[in-house]
Amino acid sequence: MTGTGSKALLPRRKRRRRSGWRGFLYIAPAMALVILFFVMPVIFTGWMSLHNWPLMGGTRWIGFNNYVRMFHDARFMSALRFTAYYTVIVTIAIFAVAFPLAIFVEKQRRFVSAYRTIIFLPVVIGLATASLLWVWLANVDSGFIGPALKALGWVDKSPNLLATFDSAFLTIIIMVVWKIAGFTMIILLTGLQAIPADLTEAARIDGAGRWQRFRHVTLPLMRKTIALALIISVTGSILAFDQFYIMTSGGPQNRMISVVYYIFNQSFVSFNLGYGAALSIALLAILVAISIVQLWLLRVGEERP
Amino acid sequence: MSDTGVVLTDIRKSFGNLEVIHGIDLTITEGSFVVFVGPSGCGKSTLLRMIAGLEEVTDGEIEIKGRNVTDLDPSDRGIAMVFQSYALYPHMSVRENMAFGLKMARLPEPEIDSRVKAASAILKIDPLLDRRPGQLSGGQRQRVAIGRAIVRKPDVFLFDEPLSNLDAELRVSMRIEIARLHRELGNTMIYVTHDQTEAMTLADMIVVLRDGRVEQTGSPREIYENPANTFVAGFIGSPRMNLLNAEWTGDGSIRIGNSRIAVQIDDNRMAPGGKLTLGVRPEHMNVVVDTEGTLRAKVDFYEYLGGTQFLYCQLEDGQAVTAEYRSSVPVEAGDILHFRWQADDLRFFDAAGLRLKGAC
Ligand SMILES: Nc1ncnc2c1ncn2[C@@H]1O[C@H](COP(=O)(O)OP(=O)(O)OP(=O)(O)O)[C@@H](O)[C@H]1O
Ligand SMILES: [Mg+2]
Repeated sequence: MTGTGSKALLPRRKRRRRSGWRGFLYIAPAMALVILFFVMPVIFTGWMSLHNWPLMGGTRWIGFNNYVRMFHDARFMSALRFTAYYTVIVTIAIFAVAFPLAIFVEKQRRFVSAYRTIIFLPVVIGLATASLLWVWLANVDSGFIGPALKALGWVDKSPNLLATFDSAFLTIIIMVVWKIAGFTMIILLTGLQAIPADLTEAARIDGAGRWQRFRHVTLPLMRKTIALALIISVTGSILAFDQFYIMTSGGPQNRMISVVYYIFNQSFVSFNLGYGAALSIALLAILVAISIVQLWLLRVGEERP
Repeated sequence: MSDTGVVLTDIRKSFGNLEVIHGIDLTITEGSFVVFVGPSGCGKSTLLRMIAGLEEVTDGEIEIKGRNVTDLDPSDRGIAMVFQSYALYPHMSVRENMAFGLKMARLPEPEIDSRVKAASAILKIDPLLDRRPGQLSGGQRQRVAIGRAIVRKPDVFLFDEPLSNLDAELRVSMRIEIARLHRELGNTMIYVTHDQTEAMTLADMIVVLRDGRVEQTGSPREIYENPANTFVAGFIGSPRMNLLNAEWTGDGSIRIGNSRIAVQIDDNRMAPGGKLTLGVRPEHMNVVVDTEGTLRAKVDFYEYLGGTQFLYCQLEDGQAVTAEYRSSVPVEAGDILHFRWQADDLRFFDAAGLRLKGAC
């Protein structure tokens, strides 16, 4: 791609300046939006993070004190730990569900588009809406899950699902998987469909069983797709907020405070805007680091057919 | 049962309600090179894929080397297949591509190595062993695909239009290579193609298919010289055999347009006035100077090919005929020519298109 591009440019040196300006014109609106809604806020946040910045009253320059404070903040550390734990568990859960689903809906069978649609449907609901729905589903008395379990005779008393850490965490994981797996499934499905049928057939003739075909042909050829799905899932999970805020309000014994939730608390409950800004910058750094890993993952294995 | 290579018994295949293969019986002797030809969509690939086990048969039985393989997995049938798209694993090196099937069969490492070495020597791809398929040319990829088939030491090789993605020159050299391979290995090979030249040059036996039925089987010479019906007559040969509508007069001659031409037909199915089709290949149409009992035609246009010329002509009643012309006397479009032929170069077909016996 780049090779042919530069070759095409050579005989057109003279026009380069003008077309350079025109190119700039084309991207100007997008650039303006990015600058207005991303670069400037980040710079402003960075500026805020260097201050003691209460909601009311004067701001005071304190240098990197907010960042130093961060490293000694036990609650921030536990929020980080919890977010990492949640991210790992939910990502594994999403993939464990989405991959078999993708394989299931990839095959041509009856009603396959109906299956795809049904599985994808929860994706179009907002996360906050889904959280609210599941708060109701998980309600002890007027909900669905507890009473249903009781009706089936599996439990004596309808459990309060959101009352203990484990059951609340499990409920949230199930809710998020229900909400997100369809999206991951579609991404994985496109990767599966990009693998030529001939390859699978060649592998069948070579004597590879179902699992071996998956392991030696499908998986390696889906590396990029998987990397993409993984990154979307991981970044989404690191930014998790709605479900904890709405479903458990931080959870039993405040053990479900994610990083974004903690930033929210610092900024808009405690009104430490400066400190909240510093935490946001730290989170941004983490996400950038993960994006770099993503780019690296996408770079390797360029031998797609 | 017998030592015959591949035996198909009343093979049928339906996709949903649509039957595309309508009962095919075929016996392929061990070690022979069989070519399936036929127009697009006639079911060549489907038939081959059923032999491979990639497609289930709806009805019928497949036997390979006396073993009923109808319900066996592709890998247990003793076959190897070369795909039109090569179907090489893009993420594996050439060596890994060739070794993959052997690894799956859990062959010991030294055995795998020696087989890959032997195959790559036969195909002259040793210098490519550590490359990825993406770094190979089309011809090299096809060699690797054939190599992957060879290392499996199959009883039967299956090829589905293996050369159709190559350019003309490469196609010729790969064709010769495949013929050499067949001589050296001596396995049964089943080969699907659109290309008549491939079919004629490679095959011991050609199977002409149409709409999921076998129209004729036989050696290239049999198919070419004694086509069983007008379909085969028109399908094999390039330019195609002239098939002219004619009428049997009953007194030892036929009428084509305004021309009366003496012929002999002993078939008692013919009644005077009956319609029939006269088949004559372009190379048997001889230009003559006399006009008595000849076919008169006007040259529409011609193709000059150096060694020979093809004249595309029109009879007075509008039927098109093609003639091969080797004389150095120049011919121009618009010229009127007279054609005659050797009696034993003529083929006659009845109104249903079937070959009439005892005619010449
Ligand atoms: N998976 C399928 N589902 C439904 N119909 C199919 C399927 N595969 C093939 N067919 C039909 O079966 C018939 C035979 O197809 P096949 O691919 O065997 O033709 P072919 O002789 O190989 O043609 P070509 O020379 O174009 O490759 C066609 O009419 C095709 O539409
Ligand atoms: Mg085909």
